[in-house]
Amino acid sequence: MSKTWVLGLVGLVSLGLSATAPAEAAPEGTITWGVHVTLVSRWLDPAETEALITPFMVLYALHDALVKPMPAGLNTPSLAESWTVSKDGLVYEFALRKGAKFHSGDPVTAEDVKFSFERYKGAAAKLLKDKVREVQAVDPARVRFHLKEPWPDFMTFYGTSASGAGWIVPKKYIDKVGEDGFKKAPVGAGPYRVASFTPGVELTLEAFDGYWRKVPSVKRLVLRSMPEETTRAAALKKGEVDIVYLLSGPVAEDVKRTPNLKLIPAQPPGVFWLDFPDQWDPKSPWHDRRVRLAASLAIDRQAINQAETLGFSRPTGSIIPRIFEFALPIDPPPYDPRKAKQLLAEAGYPNGFDAGDFYPFPPYFSMGEALAGYLQAIGIRTRVKTMERASFLSAWRERKLKGVLVGITGASGNAATRLEAYVTKNGIYSYGVLPEVEDLFQRQAKELDRKKREALLHQIQRILHEQAMHAPIYELAFIWGVGPRVEEAGANLIKGFAYSGPYEDLRLRRQER
Amino acid sequence: MKRYIVRRLGYAVLSLVLLSLTIFLLVRLTGDPAVLLVEPGASTEDLAAVRAQFGLDRPLWVQYGRFMSTLVRGDFGHSFYYRTPVLELYLSRLPYSLMLALAAMAFSLLIGIPSGILAAVRVNQWWDSAGKIFALLGLSLPSFWVGLVMILFFSVYLEWLPSSGAGSPLHVVMPAFALGWYFAAAHMRLTRSSMLEVLGSEYVKLARLKGLPEALVIAKHAFKNALIPVLTLAGINLVIMVNVAVVVETVFAWPGIGRLLYEGISFRDFPVVQATVLLGGAMIMIVNLVVDILYAVIDPRIRYEK
Repeated sequence: MSKTWVLGLVGLVSLGLSATAPAEAAPEGTITWGVHVTLVSRWLDPAETEALITPFMVLYALHDALVKPMPAGLNTPSLAESWTVSKDGLVYEFALRKGAKFHSGDPVTAEDVKFSFERYKGAAAKLLKDKVREVQAVDPARVRFHLKEPWPDFMTFYGTSASGAGWIVPKKYIDKVGEDGFKKAPVGAGPYRVASFTPGVELTLEAFDGYWRKVPSVKRLVLRSMPEETTRAAALKKGEVDIVYLLSGPVAEDVKRTPNLKLIPAQPPGVFWLDFPDQWDPKSPWHDRRVRLAASLAIDRQAINQAETLGFSRPTGSIIPRIFEFALPIDPPPYDPRKAKQLLAEAGYPNGFDAGDFYPFPPYFSMGEALAGYLQAIGIRTRVKTMERASFLSAWRERKLKGVLVGITGASGNAATRLEAYVTKNGIYSYGVLPEVEDLFQRQAKELDRKKREALLHQIQRILHEQAMHAPIYELAFIWGVGPRVEEAGANLIKGFAYSGPYEDLRLRRQER
Repeated sequence: MKRYIVRRLGYAVLSLVLLSLTIFLLVRLTGDPAVLLVEPGASTEDLAAVRAQFGLDRPLWVQYGRFMSTLVRGDFGHSFYYRTPVLELYLSRLPYSLMLALAAMAFSLLIGIPSGILAAVRVNQWWDSAGKIFALLGLSLPSFWVGLVMILFFSVYLEWLPSSGAGSPLHVVMPAFALGWYFAAAHMRLTRSSMLEVLGSEYVKLARLKGLPEALVIAKHAFKNALIPVLTLAGINLVIMVNVAVVVETVFAWPGIGRLLYEGISFRDFPVVQATVLLGGAMIMIVNLVVDILYAVIDPRIRYEK
């Protein structure tokens, strides 16, 4: 076979391949969001990520992490191709993805990873830096994290939205332009780059065609701050925006009735529950398990769900969201006011009792009123006291709230991190601790065997349920309104994520581009 | 006059220092901003880190000292929420607020003054009653309700105007009306009462006795004199419109200073609240001073030297 013939054959094969391979189309069109929050500069910098899920609405577009929650799972390798843990649990090694680069064109290297971790000052920064002895850039494509002691939650904090420490920024660029320069013109390794930003008003992003995972389908993303719910809904109906976040009650109903618009419930890890701070006082009626159980049985969770979130939330029997790692799914208690009254009578309160104040979680006051009404119906009398959000949180944290309160949190993490805050002796919102729960919690914190750890955490959740320590209500649905131009809005693709994502997977309908 | 201006400027500086202390202490009475910058389940360490980052763990007098020392250099500090210099934020919002305030003021004067004159000239007649109803509605209807109704009618139903945001002259129409109506009502009421007072004065009676046409009496003799209190009020109202159009700017997602103040209060963003209040206070003082000087220019009987 002559050399020319072979080359020709190779050429033909190459032509055939290029003709049949699905070439990635160039990004087209714009998707505009009406977001419920005020857009701020700090969300453009992963180092500033506080213990909030909101910044990730921007981070997923502009930046990328070594490992992050994605449709494939909670700890999906992204800028890292893979990662391994040493047998003693002390060393985590990440192999960086070849070809991953920043918007500036520079490749993502181990030095960037080390620099990003050291520069990080957001949520859990102290915790992470206390646990990590050293970050070692082994070579440009390999980085090692050496821990001081085995820590089973390292990847929960480094590889999920519990912190922004694993999101990588370009060292070379920041060294060149300085911190202020980076704040003004941030550069990341995500699927979109900043085109323009007016703090508090609007952020415009443009597709980055060098993104390693795929070239985004939509050319331009616009996030527009619209704090008023009715205004967001009006803009959606008029077609000025394509997706709006956070609709509720009558406004959501109105959007639902509008032709061509649809409601989508995202399912972030936020659970509502009733907390009974007085249960730790032996003289309080709440000290009796039967009273707490009666309160739980008195609530018609589905009715409240229907009124507040159009039935999109998920009634539950646990304060741990089902999507969390190590969660024990528990069905919600049935609505049984007759049984509730019977339990109250057995506990010595046939005519009910005065339970003091009832604190709804701000701003969910109508839900609080409904819950207090259900308690009242079985004879548990309360006075609803509404508070401003920050005052409520401070008073709860300082253990000044008595009677009954409604709790909720959407903090990321796993069952252990969620339990720690509310039922352990170090918990910032714990009013008291069950010794067996504390013992199990301490044991799981040292357990490196995943199965054994899961068993311990399940046992804790079972005890909390049996003791009726809380009356869980439902896992809150975060309702979006979506317009007719959008084919894929990116809702619930990443489990537990409240916002659109991954942005590179979003699509407009063909004729709308 | 020069001594008067210098004295007034001195008072203004003193007032601003007192205002800075008052607002510095008042915002801190609202509580800890750190709890609003983290999720409810965040750890104590996270909270402490946020407090340390903003110097909120330092004694109050140290915080105030630092605030004043940067203030004299024209630096209002960094926003807790935005993480950017507050002055930069304020100046980026100022053009929007000025645009909205000027449009709302133009609307309020164009409606308020002619209807006030008509109400005074046709006192207790149809025009007067219509004016009173207009003023009553403008003063009593909440502007968020007016705004939402306008959005639903002009934007969603008729599709004539954009529902919210800024960017084109059409965007300013609805917020300017919603904001201007309240002030138009106030201007109409003041024009009416001021005109009635002037129309009953001796020199107007004399003008009429001299046989001057009624239109000339009203336009030349009455209106000119009745305008002074209205313009004074309009000057102050313009500053108020620029700084505290909180509700209208929020409903229409208008990126002005009112919304910035609202966000500052909502997130306990102390530097933002301090800056907006101080700069708003400074504007009011300057406008008052300018109005007082203009009085002397317009009315030769007014002199401040003695």
